[in-house]
Amino acid sequence: MQKTLSVKKDEKRQNSALYLALFIAIIVFISFVVNIFTDGMFLEAKNLQVIFSNSVYPTFIAWGFCFLFACGYTDLSVGGVVVLGSFASCAFGNLFGYPGVILGGLIVGTLLIFIDFVIFAYTRIPSWIASISLALIYEAIAIFLRINKFTKPHVDTELSKSFNAIGQLPINLVLLIVGFIIVYFVYNRTSVGLNIRAIGGNKEVSRSLGINILNTLLSVGLICGLLIGTSSVIQQSYNLKTFSMSGLTSLQLIFKPLAIALLAQIMQKWINIIVAVPFCSLIIYGVFNIMTFFGVPSGTLQDVFLGAFVIAFGIGGQRGVKEVVK
Amino acid sequence: MKEPILEIRGLNKRFGPTHANKNIDFTLYQGEIRGLIGENGSGKSTLISQIAGVYSPDSGEMRIRGEKYCPQSPLDAYKQKISMVLQELGVVGNLPVGVNVFLGRTGQFTKNGVVSLKALNRAVAEQFEKWELPMPPLNSLTGNMMIETRKIVELARALSVDPDIILLDEITQSLSLNNRRKLYELLQKLKSMGRSVIIITHDVEELIEITDTITVLRDGEVVGNVVSANTTPDEVKRMMVGRDISGDYYRADKKAQYDDEVVLSVKNLTVAGELEDISFDVHAGEILGFCGLSDSGIHSVAKAVFGLSRASGGSVYLAAKDLYIKNPMQALINNVGYVPKDRDSEALMVNASVRENFALPSLGELTGPLGFVSPKNMKKLASEMVSKLSVKCEDIFQPVSSLSGGNKQKINLGRWLAKDLKLLILDCPTRGVDVGVKAYIYSLMKEAKKNKIAILLISDELTEIIGMADRLIVMKDGRMTKTISRDGDFTEQAVIEVMI
Repeated sequence: MQKTLSVKKDEKRQNSALYLALFIAIIVFISFVVNIFTDGMFLEAKNLQVIFSNSVYPTFIAWGFCFLFACGYTDLSVGGVVVLGSFASCAFGNLFGYPGVILGGLIVGTLLIFIDFVIFAYTRIPSWIASISLALIYEAIAIFLRINKFTKPHVDTELSKSFNAIGQLPINLVLLIVGFIIVYFVYNRTSVGLNIRAIGGNKEVSRSLGINILNTLLSVGLICGLLIGTSSVIQQSYNLKTFSMSGLTSLQLIFKPLAIALLAQIMQKWINIIVAVPFCSLIIYGVFNIMTFFGVPSGTLQDVFLGAFVIAFGIGGQRGVKEVVK
Repeated sequence: MKEPILEIRGLNKRFGPTHANKNIDFTLYQGEIRGLIGENGSGKSTLISQIAGVYSPDSGEMRIRGEKYCPQSPLDAYKQKISMVLQELGVVGNLPVGVNVFLGRTGQFTKNGVVSLKALNRAVAEQFEKWELPMPPLNSLTGNMMIETRKIVELARALSVDPDIILLDEITQSLSLNNRRKLYELLQKLKSMGRSVIIITHDVEELIEITDTITVLRDGEVVGNVVSANTTPDEVKRMMVGRDISGDYYRADKKAQYDDEVVLSVKNLTVAGELEDISFDVHAGEILGFCGLSDSGIHSVAKAVFGLSRASGGSVYLAAKDLYIKNPMQALINNVGYVPKDRDSEALMVNASVRENFALPSLGELTGPLGFVSPKNMKKLASEMVSKLSVKCEDIFQPVSSLSGGNKQKINLGRWLAKDLKLLILDCPTRGVDVGVKAYIYSLMKEAKKNKIAILLISDELTEIIGMADRLIVMKDGRMTKTISRDGDFTEQAVIEVMI
């Protein structure tokens, strides 16, 4: 009996590795084809570096979404949290150097997402409604801090150029690898990760088996907060500035990570979702890079494609899986 | 005399106006297999849910091994070595089998914060081996598995705590014949180990066969305790309903009787990995039965005929309407009804009202001249069906989730009977219903047969198939192995020989 079990496991692992190899081969092939049409510019080292650096911070947000979806919640305030986290990273960074950049974003990001989950856990308001209200509040705070572009802001919103290393190679690559290892183990191989997935699958069974729903939800808040906070830090260090947004426009910030998470949902039939996320992030940013090469206007037609991707990936992700996104 | 392990005195539980358990006195002894029986809504599940810590009693006292026992959650029950397979709970579909078995207790496999899935799966495999349960692939997600496999996973989970008392709520009716036999052996093994079992099933004969004693509940009260060896099915049924119920509720005739007109013709139907080369005709007024062991594919036949599975070969031809069924919508609008085995997740809208559930398959007929669904017609249909089927509910606006299993099944089946059907596909129609409802469902089937409706009856209960079908198709490993007519050797023995 044991023998059969281990053989099946080995087969599964081999298949997964095969799918991953096939997937990478397809991306490489398409990249070479695109490269021909862009006169060799697509595969230039500088362009690849831009694609990679752009894809790192959404990867962390997408991992956060994986935890959110796994426990059956939706948090639309993430964009607002990223803005405030970036502001904190910037303000404390300019005051205290790299420790300020890192801790500012991490603490604010973690705190705000944790607050979100405290509200989700203690109230019966559907998370998407509560999180829209929270997004409005976070956006308003950001506007208050920033006032407007003609007045002096209450906090610095432009980080000194000397702190841009976190968002650049090789530090962002190191962060991605370390983040991947931690997230992979937390999601797949820890009791808290399994409990998070359990309450998303069947809350009543989870409760009856002694899983503390409240503590598990607060754990999700903490884990997602750390991921969103990390994303804020990388984002601020890479872009150096962040704009305040109003009228729920901060939702724009979560659309690419959402598309990444949904694409990863589709791919989890073949590859572990946490492994799939960074690859999907590269694909999404690669596609937008290609669109830019081909002169597709950003802000209009590119957004049409982004919206279409989210819908298409959402449909794909739901096939054969009950309630991927709640 | 063995020591009592569980003592209950004066237990009461109310749900709003419903007094679900009234002054229950109950004593369970070490090494005893106790059966609980009663009509749907008699309070059996409520009683064991309180023992399991799912509900708290309003009043009364429970004692375990002489100590006061007030479980606030199922976790408290686990701590007292009481485990359960409850009707309404289940597995976590998005987690693999292995994790499901030790869910909530994965900490014991954690080293340096990381759960060793290898050690966990090894422990799970040991549990399956120890209790001689059929082991599904441990890394597969339970959500994709059949209800029977999911119940076995739940059973493994309950046994993995090495329980002193195990509570089994209607588990046998989710199991096929072979696994049911394994469960009986398991019960004897538990008894020989001095463990106690409380089991609920609606199959009176089965209950008498596998238990030491039986407690009968009626309208929330204990109406009697009997020793299984000294009782008869008729006595138990009489205690359950308070009047005599004839034991013979199956067909009395021994002859296959149906029209020549073919309603449905299935030719070489193949569904990858489930069915291979299935061919049969069903005639007007015929009850065509399907039986087989687990994984024989009988339940897949129902899904494939109704267009729910994608056929990789062959055809499903609805001769009565001259069309090939390719999807459920086609089947639905062409007078084909389907009652799935897993009523909660595949058939009913459990959070919707009784009215909406009755109306769902008949929306076309309930639409008014302007194209809107008429609330008046919906109400009329639901009220008529509630009264005709004697559904126990507060009113037609009550959510289906709050009804007992038998009443849910009445809605599941009854809503199709409100339509003018040509073909009715029934997959385990009497799963989780009491003898009274069972008899009523059989009478509905007889009436449907009389009205020339063709019926596909898929069942894990041989007595049911033999009692009701005109012809019987035995399946094994996704293939048809034999067709037996009611006129021929239509006995359990003959069927089992082909089945195994």
